[in-house]
Amino acid sequence: MLLSAELYVKDLPGQLVGSLEPISMVDGNIIGVVHDREKLVNQRILVSVTFEVADSKKLEELKRIWKSRDVIISEMGSVYQTITREFMMVGKFNAAYIENLLDEAGSIVRLESADVSYASKNQSNDKRTAMITAEVRTKEELEKLDEFFSEACRKDDMLYIRGL
Amino acid sequence: MVKLFISGFGTVGQGFVEVLGRRVDFFENRYGEQPIVVGIMDSKTVVTDPKGIDVGAAVAKKLETGSVGTEKYTDSVKALDSVDYDILIEVSPTNIKTGGVGLVNITHALECGKDVITVNKGPLALKFQELITLARKNGCKFRFEGTVGGAMPIINLCHENLKGEKISSIRGIFNGTCNYILSKMDKGQPFEQALKEAQQLGYAETDPTNDVEGYDAATKVVILANSVFGRNVTFDDVKITGIRGITTDAIDQAAAHNMVIRLIGEISDTRLEVAPRLIPVGHPLSIAGTLNIAQIDADLAGPITINGHGAGKIETASAILSDLIAIMDMRY
Repeated sequence: MLLSAELYVKDLPGQLVGSLEPISMVDGNIIGVVHDREKLVNQRILVSVTFEVADSKKLEELKRIWKSRDVIISEMGSVYQTITREFMMVGKFNAAYIENLLDEAGSIVRLESADVSYASKNQSNDKRTAMITAEVRTKEELEKLDEFFSEACRKDDMLYIRGL
Repeated sequence: MVKLFISGFGTVGQGFVEVLGRRVDFFENRYGEQPIVVGIMDSKTVVTDPKGIDVGAAVAKKLETGSVGTEKYTDSVKALDSVDYDILIEVSPTNIKTGGVGLVNITHALECGKDVITVNKGPLALKFQELITLARKNGCKFRFEGTVGGAMPIINLCHENLKGEKISSIRGIFNGTCNYILSKMDKGQPFEQALKEAQQLGYAETDPTNDVEGYDAATKVVILANSVFGRNVTFDDVKITGIRGITTDAIDQAAAHNMVIRLIGEISDTRLEVAPRLIPVGHPLSIAGTLNIAQIDADLAGPITINGHGAGKIETASAILSDLIAIMDMRY
C-alpha cells in the first residue's frame, strides 16, 4: 500500500526521527519526507511523509506506534500509481467510433485519462489512424483494456498496434 | 573422427563448410583432429565419400553446375543411409506448412541414433516435442541455435548461462526483413517501396509472405516457447499480425509521440504473439536495420538484451559451428 500522511510532532530534537522510525519498525519503506518547520501549530511542526507498508494490518500497527509516541496524524490518504499506455488503431472509422469505443472502455475499466489524436494525411485510401494514450491504475486493468481494444479491432477489421 | 552429413547445400550449407575451413587450427588444438564431411546432398543430388569429401571442390561444383553431386536421388532417407555418419547438419530450406524434407531427414537421423544440428525452423515449429522426445529416447544430441536469430546466441544463452534463472518473458525482433522495411518507413518510404528495396537487396524473397505476414517470426516464437519455457505449442498457437497494414500515417503518428513501430515476438505466461508494437525511441527494441534483438526478463539477473545478425551465410554458419563444438566437447 502506498500512502501519504501529514503528521504533527513536537518541536523538540529527535522528534522527526522518532516519527519516521516506526515506518521501518513495521517493515515499511519511506518514499519521501518533507519537514516543514514553518507550519507550527500548538508547538508542533508538520512532517509530510509518503511511504509503503505491506497491508492494512501493518498500517494499523504503525498508527498504534505513532499514537504511543505522541505523533498526531492530521491527514492520511492513499497514493495510487498509474500506468500509461499507447494504443494505435489503423482502419476505416470516424471520431465518433473512437469516442464510443472509449465510452465502452470506461465502463469496463477505470480510465484515469484518455487522450486521442488522429491522422489521415494519406488521401490514397480512406484509412485513418488514431493514437489513444490511456492511463489506468493497475496492470490487470491495462490487460483488460488491451483485450477490449484488440477484440474491437479484430471485429471491425482494423490494425491494432499497442505499446510495449 | 567426427563424420558429418550436410543436407542442404545452399547459402548456409556452403557457408558452414567455409567456416570449417577457417577453423582448422581451432579443431586441431582442441580435439587433435578435424571433423570430416562424408556426405552432402542438395535438393536433387548427393555426393558421399567415407574418407571425407573435398568440400572446396564440392562448393565449386555446386556453383558451376548448380548440383553438388552427379548422383541423383529421389528418396532423401536412402541418400542419408548411403554412408555412415555421426552428425546430420540439416540446412535445407524451411517449409513451415509441412516441415518439408528437413523434417523427414531430422526424424530419420534421430531414429538412427545420430546427433542432429539444424537451422531449419519448419520441423521445430511443427514437431518440436516429437523431435525432442525422439532425440531423448535414442540418446541423441539435438541442437538448433541457428533457428532463432541466426548468429544471436539466444537459445544456448538461456539453456547454459541462464540455467538458474526463472525467465518470465522474451520479447524481440526476430525478422530482419520486417525490421529493415519498418526502418525505411521511419524515413518516409511507403511500405510497398520499402519492400521492393528489401527484395532488390536480397533481404526479402520474391514472395515476401512469410516475412511480412509475421509467419517467420512466429516460427521463432514457437521454438523459444518450447525450448526455453518448456511449453508444448505449435505454429497455430501463435497470435500473428503482420506489418502489411502499417501506413505512413501510422509511422508518422508514432514518430510524433517519439516512438517507432517494430514487429515484436513475445513469449510470456499470458502471451504467445507476433505483432507490430509501439516502441519508445531509445528503447533497445527500437533498433533499425536488419539486426535481430531479444530482451530476456530473468528473475535474478533482470533484463538481458542481446542482438546480432539474424541471417547471412557466415553468421548462420557460426551458430552451427557453436552447436558442433558443443556436441564434440561432449564426445571428446
